[in-house]
Amino acid sequence: MTDASIAGAAPEPKKSSLLVQDARTRKRNAAEARFRMYGLGAVCTGILALVLLLASILSNGLSSFQQTYITLEVALPADKLDKNGNRDRAEMAKVSTFGYQPLIAAAMEQKMTARGISVEGLSAKDAAGLVSKEAPAQLRNFVLANPDVLDTTRTFEFLASGRVDGYYKGRVSMETAQLDKNISPEQLQLADILLEEGTLETRFNWRFFTAPDASGQRPEAAGLGVAILGSFYMMLVVLCLALPIGVATSIYLEEFAPKNRITDLIEVNISNLAAVPSIVFGILGLAIFINFAGLPQSAPIVGGLVLTLMTLPTIIISTRASLKSVPPSIRDAALGVGASKMQSVFHHVLPLAAPGILTGTIIGLAQALGETAPLLLIGMVAFVREYPAAPPEGFFDPASALPVQIYNWTQRSDPAFVERASGAIIVLLAFLLVMNAIAILLRRKFERRW
Amino acid sequence: MNDMRFTERAVVEDKKIAAKGVQVYYGSNHAIKDVNVDILDKTVTAFIGPSGCGKSTFLRCINRMNDTIDIARVEGDILLDGEDIYDAKVDPVQLRAKVGMVFQKPNPFPKSIYDNVAYGPRIHGLARTKADLDEIVEKSLRRAALWDEAKDRLEQPGTGLSGGQQQRLCIARAVATSPEVLLMDEPCSALDPIATAQVEELIDELRERFSVVIVTHSMQQAARVSQRTAFFHLGELVEYGETGQIFTNPEDPRTESYITGRIG
Amino acid sequence: MVIDNAHIASAFDRDLEAIQALIMKMGGMVEEQISDAAKALENRDEELAETVRLRDNQIDDLEAKINEEAARVIALRAPTAGDLRVVLTVIKMSSNLERIGDYAKNMAKRSSVLLQLQEIDNAFAALRRMSRDVESMLRDALDAYMKLDVEMSESVILRDKEVDQMYNALFREFLTHMMEDPRSITACMHLHFIAKNIERMGDHVTSISEQVIYMVSGEMPDEDRPKGDRTSVAIGE
Repeated sequence: MTDASIAGAAPEPKKSSLLVQDARTRKRNAAEARFRMYGLGAVCTGILALVLLLASILSNGLSSFQQTYITLEVALPADKLDKNGNRDRAEMAKVSTFGYQPLIAAAMEQKMTARGISVEGLSAKDAAGLVSKEAPAQLRNFVLANPDVLDTTRTFEFLASGRVDGYYKGRVSMETAQLDKNISPEQLQLADILLEEGTLETRFNWRFFTAPDASGQRPEAAGLGVAILGSFYMMLVVLCLALPIGVATSIYLEEFAPKNRITDLIEVNISNLAAVPSIVFGILGLAIFINFAGLPQSAPIVGGLVLTLMTLPTIIISTRASLKSVPPSIRDAALGVGASKMQSVFHHVLPLAAPGILTGTIIGLAQALGETAPLLLIGMVAFVREYPAAPPEGFFDPASALPVQIYNWTQRSDPAFVERASGAIIVLLAFLLVMNAIAILLRRKFERRW
Repeated sequence: MNDMRFTERAVVEDKKIAAKGVQVYYGSNHAIKDVNVDILDKTVTAFIGPSGCGKSTFLRCINRMNDTIDIARVEGDILLDGEDIYDAKVDPVQLRAKVGMVFQKPNPFPKSIYDNVAYGPRIHGLARTKADLDEIVEKSLRRAALWDEAKDRLEQPGTGLSGGQQQRLCIARAVATSPEVLLMDEPCSALDPIATAQVEELIDELRERFSVVIVTHSMQQAARVSQRTAFFHLGELVEYGETGQIFTNPEDPRTESYITGRIG
Repeated sequence: MVIDNAHIASAFDRDLEAIQALIMKMGGMVEEQISDAAKALENRDEELAETVRLRDNQIDDLEAKINEEAARVIALRAPTAGDLRVVLTVIKMSSNLERIGDYAKNMAKRSSVLLQLQEIDNAFAALRRMSRDVESMLRDALDAYMKLDVEMSESVILRDKEVDQMYNALFREFLTHMMEDPRSITACMHLHFIAKNIERMGDHVTSISEQVIYMVSGEMPDEDRPKGDRTSVAIGE
């Protein structure tokens, strides 16, 4: 009886050769081949986009790591810089950068006559135009810092003006100089002569990492110093706040909290917070930290607090995920030998989850590092030339941040800032890359088998 | 010689654990129905039965591991040496130091072999000095028949051992807190036959000092290691008695059907 | 019985040893039974015969115990290969030994009856010799079992032929006696049964030896062993 029913249920096996593909198999194989092509196409598109992005940024930005300098011997006459002759800094400070400008022109002229350089139709003043407008300020700062150098002749290395710098980076040519009121072809000829002679040279631009921002007239002087420091302070605030708060929250929710409607609600809200647009956090920061709590604008502490709020959900979610991934058998084992709940979490679960937590935190930090929108709203977009002080006071000083600095530079008219912005993007990407690499390394190092 | 074997088989008739009218509910599911059982001292007691019959659940009641599950509810009395372990005054952490547990999957902590064994004594403050602790670790590893294999690699991670060695490490860890009762939840289900035999041999030796309760899917294992066997079916304790008698001449027809492979 | 390698489960070894100790104890008791029964017959010792009869109960109890233990080992330890053959052998040996014990008891019973009957010349001595042979065969068979000695077992099997021949001779002798003197028929019949019992004991010892060979080698020896018992085809002359 049973035999009969079984025989009735299963169809008779069809005789067919394994060497011949039937229509159905052919169709399935074709579908699979098509799907592979789609996938490959998608990957290629992604790689192409990435290559294009990197190529454009690198081609625009790499040159910002080079800078053209002009070396001049400048005489520092005391009668012009310290009219009273008593070396009083307060009085010397009354001489503005306009008082220093002629010294550079004189130095340039002296150099040209000494070396017998002359370019047709080029005045001494024009020749001094090769030097950056930042140079008098540099000279003045030096003299004010060392009053004894008066009445001596010192060798200075000045930044070349943005146009001359651009000439050696291919941004400016003789043709464009013709139309440019900031530079003339004659000046460029002089620059070429100076280059041959060794007065003018192009080399690695450390100032780009250390100098503060500069006005729109002197792109050659603009650097990322304040922005890097500001970003660093903010990351410090984020790390010190988000990590403990986030980890404590996750441990409580994951290990201790009873599973009921309230915790469900909290959970849903945390997930939703992670999806809230970052600019909303900026508005929140503006309303609470600046308008209500009265913290200073443009300060890293406010930026850090806002970014902490933004990063918390990311850290909580990744921490909970890594806590969940710790096998329950480890908790059982700890409880089984008589450990309390807290001992089992802190002795066993947390160490095992640590690599995951660290990775999540670093990714969260990287995200915060690249965040622009909320910082614009709390005034970090301001033009800041002063370095913030050392922490903790420094947290309350105005500062800039890397992504905001990039945003700022892209707004400026001088094309030299396009190069600066791209350079800053490269710096930012390098920081992100380093952080991700650290995350991967940490995970590799601490990941354990169980 | 033969007489020795038979006296050896005779068990101490001291009650270690007495369960009276134990009921366990998981939410609305009545998982254990009115179980009465006396577990003897210095005896291996095996719980057998089909999957989902409640044997593991009952085992976890004995050291209150069910406390960690929110929806589990235990009624009735379980007395350890005459004291109700579900009394409000009992701290489960203290209870679990007395009633150790070994789990189905070997679950050593991802720490060194030494730290695995030393963990329990450390948190219970059983050792005053490092020398004390060393002694406890050595004694426990010896008792778990792991000392010879592990003594030269105490600082290496416990997770680097083979499956059978890991399970013996877990037993050493459980033994290190000097429990009075050792609960084992299918301790050999993840092990190969040789490792299983070694663990079984170990269980037989542990009987000298502890009351061992073992849940097992393998009837053969129950037959091999235990002196008393309890057969659970659908949350009920069907039959409880001397192992040889259960396996050669069970009283309840359900037990016979199960051990002969007719229900399961 | 010695097994070269110990089991990981030492309790299994102890179980097996316990059973084997029981069977050796039973073998020893059976040897003693044979010897005592023969002694009682030869010395017309009613008291000793009584002891032999009573002692058989102990042997029966031992057999029951061995079977129970063997069943227990099979149920709890699921023995395989050599272990399984040991247990199977033990079960069969215990039943063989029990039968031998029964024959010895039967000898003792008949010797009590023979006390009241006339003596047959020579017969007691011949029976005594025969029983001594069987007794030594049994001792050797058990020895071979202990030592796992196949050769020794085979020699025990060969020696059964002598016992059979002795039985043949006695059979003829009793037949002659009965033909010569019908009054001796009762005694001769009893004596003949005793002789037959001893001959059957020899067969059981042979069976034990075969079991030992099976236990050690895993194969039963060939059936065409020498057989000396021709009485089944004998005709009175």
